[in-house]
Amino acid sequence: MNELELKKLWQTTNEKLEKTLAIDRINSTEISQLKLYHFISSMKPVKIFTLLAGIIWVGLGSIILAHIYLYTFSESNKFFLFSASFQVGLTAIALFIYLYQLITIYQVDITAPILKTQQKLASLKITTLWVTRILLLQLPAWTIFWWNEVMFREWNIFQWLITGSITIAFVIAAFWLFFNIKFENKDKKWFKLIFNGKEWTPLMKSMELLDQVNEYQANVIPGTNADS
Amino acid sequence: MNEKEQRQYFQKIIGQHKGILYKVSHAYCPNEDDRQDLIQEMMIQVWQSIPRYNNQFKISTWLYRISLNIAISFYRKNITRSNKYTMLNEQTAQIPTEEKITEERQLNLLEQFINELKEIDKALMILYLEDKSHAEIAEILGMSISNVGTKIVRIREKLKTRFSQLKS
Repeated sequence: MNELELKKLWQTTNEKLEKTLAIDRINSTEISQLKLYHFISSMKPVKIFTLLAGIIWVGLGSIILAHIYLYTFSESNKFFLFSASFQVGLTAIALFIYLYQLITIYQVDITAPILKTQQKLASLKITTLWVTRILLLQLPAWTIFWWNEVMFREWNIFQWLITGSITIAFVIAAFWLFFNIKFENKDKKWFKLIFNGKEWTPLMKSMELLDQVNEYQANVIPGTNADS
Repeated sequence: MNEKEQRQYFQKIIGQHKGILYKVSHAYCPNEDDRQDLIQEMMIQVWQSIPRYNNQFKISTWLYRISLNIAISFYRKNITRSNKYTMLNEQTAQIPTEEKITEERQLNLLEQFINELKEIDKALMILYLEDKSHAEIAEILGMSISNVGTKIVRIREKLKTRFSQLKS
């Protein structure tokens, strides 16, 4: 089939599409009356819930911790206090990145050239990796927060071996994951195993898309790019 | 532009160029049930982008940018949806003539091929089939004209191979 025949064949889709998709079913007047299409309206309830839960967690945590630092610092359990501060601090950073990502994604200029827009959207989506890395970094805090002075006085070597091993394992795992969860490792088996599942599909898809954009841009001659 | 003018302009654009939205949504959204959502999303973005329309670009270029950007990004909202692809010919069943059967078979092959392409390749293929000039394709995608030429040759080769595979 030659080029002309191919294009002619494609043109036959026009009338068929006219029959199958009735745009009139979507009331264009109704859409034109939409004054505000906020990013929150397009978010899934589960995302809104996660975001709210995170804000409440960080907010309440900060209030309780600030109270301890200000009024009961000397009699407080320092293991709990520093672990909780570390955990709340990291969650706050992750929450900030997540919010920044969501807002920025919905501010991307959708009328700009495809490669430029898709590169920006995919890169922003990939910042989800930063959220994951930061949240994983807080893992060791969960193995320490319950420690207390009594343990140091009364525990035997066997108890310490178990507790210490768990904490060391979590520290190693947290740092290893923090430094290794990155775009460059996306094709490794362990990476695919971690990010397997429907909830990670948009992230994995963004990575694939970024690869495609990079491949297209590899041959772009500087100055000839048709940016708007 | 006041709101009344914007509404009139919007309805004029959609009326004249709805084919762009149809084609892009059909190529990117395999699931028929979700296609209306995709078209609606495209229309919302067209409406919101009208005040920022830069008339140095043709309206079709501008619409292709919006619809392709939305369609390519639709995966972000599309994670639980099935991948069942509905061919146009399955949707518009008619009593076929022999010539029609051949044409429809070829059209199915073409649709199957487009469906198998990666997102950016798919955009390029649609624009090529729509007979857009290399300059306009470059403007829509944001790449050099020479690069458009190279990529089209590669995709055409792929299409040729795939057509012969699918036919056999």
